[in-house]
Amino acid sequence: MSFANLTNVTRRYTKGGHAVTPLEGVDLTIEAGEFFVLLGPSGSGKTTLLNLLAGIDDADEGRIEVAGTDLTAASSRELARWRSDHIGYVFQQANLVPVLTAYENVDLPLWLLPLSRAERHQRVSLALEAVGLSDRADHRPGQLSGGQEQRVAIARALVTDPDMILADEPTGNLDAESAAGILHLLQRLNSERGKTIVMVTHDPRAADHGTRIMHLEKGQLHAMTSDESEATSA
Amino acid sequence: MKLTKLIWRNLFRRPGRTFLSVCGIACAMTLLMLVESLSMGMSEALSGDESARTLIVYRKNRYCPQTSFLPEWYTTRIEDVPGVESVLPVKVYLSNCRASLDLVAFQGTPVDTLLKARAIQLTDGNMEQFRTEHDAALVGSDFASRKGLSVGDAFRFGDIDVKVRGIFESEAAIEEGLILTHLEFLQRAGPVNRLGTVTQFEVKVTDASKAREISREIDSLFATAEEPTDTRAQVAFLERATRDLREILGIGRLLGFACVIVVLALVANTVFMSVQERVREFGVFRTLGFREEHLGWVVLAESLALSLLGGLVGLGVSLAILNGMHLSIGTEGVPVNFATSPVLFARGLGIALVTGALAGLAPAIRSARAPIVASLRSAT
Repeated sequence: MSFANLTNVTRRYTKGGHAVTPLEGVDLTIEAGEFFVLLGPSGSGKTTLLNLLAGIDDADEGRIEVAGTDLTAASSRELARWRSDHIGYVFQQANLVPVLTAYENVDLPLWLLPLSRAERHQRVSLALEAVGLSDRADHRPGQLSGGQEQRVAIARALVTDPDMILADEPTGNLDAESAAGILHLLQRLNSERGKTIVMVTHDPRAADHGTRIMHLEKGQLHAMTSDESEATSA
Repeated sequence: MKLTKLIWRNLFRRPGRTFLSVCGIACAMTLLMLVESLSMGMSEALSGDESARTLIVYRKNRYCPQTSFLPEWYTTRIEDVPGVESVLPVKVYLSNCRASLDLVAFQGTPVDTLLKARAIQLTDGNMEQFRTEHDAALVGSDFASRKGLSVGDAFRFGDIDVKVRGIFESEAAIEEGLILTHLEFLQRAGPVNRLGTVTQFEVKVTDASKAREISREIDSLFATAEEPTDTRAQVAFLERATRDLREILGIGRLLGFACVIVVLALVANTVFMSVQERVREFGVFRTLGFREEHLGWVVLAESLALSLLGGLVGLGVSLAILNGMHLSIGTEGVPVNFATSPVLFARGLGIALVTGALAGLAPAIRSARAPIVASLRSAT
């Protein structure tokens, strides 16, 4: 069952006085429960595609339908509500709020939902437990390591029980050990909880954790076989 | 409510900056409150139910009580003028005719006439003791607070020694800054020992609409006398006496307005810097599902909280100054107290809130409307 459909999507913008077209006539279908990995060099438009899927950027042409909603026709207010209900976003940097504790950072997206304090507490506790940071709940981001911060960010993306988790180079700023832990965590969320995961990365080794890999270059998507992926990794 | 925690924490994200901003706002608010307090005191001094039908008879071409001498026997002549209800001869003795922050103003009057003419009420002390002791004094509550006087104390100023036999309050605010003594005692005391002379007469008329006519008649009675008179409505008399002070106050109010601008600039600057540091964070909030108005309210609330915090500190400091120091400024024998009232402080809080809202408006709109992707790409 397709979860996200991009039909003939084009995105253009101007950078430094030059017209840039990171995506041109892109067609893409992502199935529910997939761990979809988008590979590509820096500046190839991977994050742009992720932002379009998250409903935080607008396509110039084409149609984007995710979780049954036509994002190209929705208002800003509708998109905000839709993101809160359906999307969990993990950034390259954890982007935690420094004045809030790990617990409060994870609790943040729940402020928008009609939940009691007890329900919120249960969800936050489960999310922190899922990323193995229950004992760091009272720590502020400054008191956590980079890997721990990113795990809190994943808990924040997970806490609303979204249909899809979008991860923008989630291991880009981490050491090898922390990166492996994060990728393993995402893989578990996909295999054990059935979350649809879309991850963009320029690291072929990270891409190996996905169930499907595509390559984005010059505004066009190309499917990669596992052999091609292994070759790139090597 | 959930956002309140975030707003409060954001306020102290940079504690040093917030502390300095709060100090700046508090200083500006303290200055503004002191100016407004004096302005309110001036308004109170120039108002009063009785002032419309009260005339002040003064020595013509004299402007300082130290130089106004009128014969006490004018009392009976003025009482005979049709429309006059009562006449209170008043001897005034002052520390200083010019503007002074520590005005000491004695008024000597006949006791019985005083009690009929002025609406004073003893809050402490004994009126009979005042009546019977020649050097007894009734002290206005503001003056007593300023000097720390209580019943039984002796008070000395210059050559005048009095015993405090009562503390009084009055419907007329300026009277609460006075020391009332027996007329003859004050006529004999001090460097100018002139029995039979007074400084001024306070004349109550039965009909306020005839005050001008009666003034003219009183002045015509003594037009050819050695000590001619100049009779004015009490309000006009007070306005003339406080003219210099009101001019200074006008400049003071301009400074007060400048204080409001300073608060506005301080809050706007702090909020603007705070918002500049959190551009990416706002992008993250929007990505999580927070709407534009959520962010707008957060920024606006932070601005309001900062302004209110500084404002409250400023109000607290000004309240401590006003209550602790009992400030008063006087000129030509008219004491003007720095007034304190709930209205004054409500106005101060209102000013703090309005400036907070104005200062936060532009950053709030800007933060709310920033495109999400551009915010996420921001370096801060």
